[in-house]
Amino acid sequence: MSQHIVVDRVTKQFDLADEHTLALDDVSLTIEANEFVSIVGRSGCGKTTLLNLIAGLITPTKGEVRIGNQVITRPGPDRGMVFQHSALFPWLTAIDNIQFGPRNQGVLRKERLEQAHELIELVRLKGFEKKYPRELSGGMQQRVAIARALAVDPEMLLMDEPFGALDELTRAEMQEELLRIWEARKKTVVFVTHSILEAIYLSDRIIVLSPHPGRLRAEFPIDLPRPRQRSSQQFMKLYEDIHDAIF
Amino acid sequence: MPSSDTSLHATTAGGRASVRRVVWRRLRRLRIPDWVYGLVTVLFLLWLWEYAVDHGHLNPYQFPPPSKLQGTFESLLERGFPRGITTDVHLRTTLSRILKGYVAATALAIPSGLVIGSNSILDRAALPIITFARSVATISLLPLAVAWFGVGEFTRVFLIAYGCYWIIVTSVVEAVKGVNRQYIHAAQTLGASRVQIFFRVMLPASLPRIFSGMRVALGMAFLVIIAVEMIGTVRGLGALIMEARTFYRTDVTIVGMFFIAIIGFVLANVLSWLERFLLPWMTDLDEVQR
Repeated sequence: MSQHIVVDRVTKQFDLADEHTLALDDVSLTIEANEFVSIVGRSGCGKTTLLNLIAGLITPTKGEVRIGNQVITRPGPDRGMVFQHSALFPWLTAIDNIQFGPRNQGVLRKERLEQAHELIELVRLKGFEKKYPRELSGGMQQRVAIARALAVDPEMLLMDEPFGALDELTRAEMQEELLRIWEARKKTVVFVTHSILEAIYLSDRIIVLSPHPGRLRAEFPIDLPRPRQRSSQQFMKLYEDIHDAIF
Repeated sequence: MPSSDTSLHATTAGGRASVRRVVWRRLRRLRIPDWVYGLVTVLFLLWLWEYAVDHGHLNPYQFPPPSKLQGTFESLLERGFPRGITTDVHLRTTLSRILKGYVAATALAIPSGLVIGSNSILDRAALPIITFARSVATISLLPLAVAWFGVGEFTRVFLIAYGCYWIIVTSVVEAVKGVNRQYIHAAQTLGASRVQIFFRVMLPASLPRIFSGMRVALGMAFLVIIAVEMIGTVRGLGALIMEARTFYRTDVTIVGMFFIAIIGFVLANVLSWLERFLLPWMTDLDEVQR
């Protein structure tokens, strides 16, 4: 059962020796279960900080992040993460990377393998099970990373510019794949991106943050039916609106 | 190749020129293996050496010529030097000392380095000790080690282990501290406990840098072994070289150096084989690129 994410009046300050950076200032938002939400904004607006707070990799200076009624204090397998540079373990093959999470939880080998092969099918990597990450292309690496995150059956996927390092064609292809997987597995997705077009193409809702300090600036629900036409009038209109909101 | 066949049968003057061209082309197409170049260079230098001694440009005591070294080599294998202690005894003795010291150092350095590197308080506490101990030239500890443990096998193995340990432990600590934070974050979001992160992330992620420390330490082992074999023993390659000095046998010294080089070469290759075996994910790519 999926639950919604509540970011409740969260402030995050990073203290270095003589420098205090206010990464997020009093940000509140709610993300519904199974919703696909993108966070966009300029560099330094705290997108990644917000994602890391939800992941529990860092803790807020003020306020709290809740999932259902649970206050988040540390990372957990209910929140799967996909990073920009896949962060796959280079010493494990694709299939072993996918099994990493279940293995930690003590899932039996046979069951683990079966499930890993299922995920390999889901991300369409059949034939590449035994390859090490360095032998895979950028797009394939991100497929493995998504499969690895899904292997512990998290409630949500937190994705930090997962396609930012891919070329344009691969990127478009991976967007399709992500939507397909999202529809197949019904997860909440929080997606950080630099690309407004990518956000419009994928999301149910777009959240715009403004930098220095990071504040919530605007929200855009995207009601366009899927599959979306990247060159349609409404698409372009949204692009302009969001662009204006950012700059 | 039909075109070259026709030119081989040509009889005119122009035809002979084209025969020459074909022969050249074929010679060039013959791929000469890399080691042939090295071998030719070595043979040439050996010949130069022999020639220089023959013609009085080099003193045969300071530079015993290759022809003499060959005889020395054979006599070391058969009669030994000092008489009765043949080369295989020296080789085995030195090799076993190196291995004992090196393996002991590695076995201690990896776990202790992993613990120090993953704990920032321990790391800060250990840093001055590691830096100091590593900066002490191992050979200069020899008198002290003799005072502690006497002039026995243990002293020799201890000094080799000492020299290697600090190098390896430094590389392990650096390796652990250099582990990409994202691997750890990824592991945390995949439900890994601290112990699981330690064994399934920190350790494998550190291995490449640990190996590079082990490679440097192997060089250190060879520096130390020769020095520690120069006292209180007649067995071992270091002892062989030392004895040779006493008897003005520069030829024996050179052959001894040659044997040391051979073990060094073999051990370095064993280590890199082990690395390829344990870290297939590192070398696979290198092979693809080649």
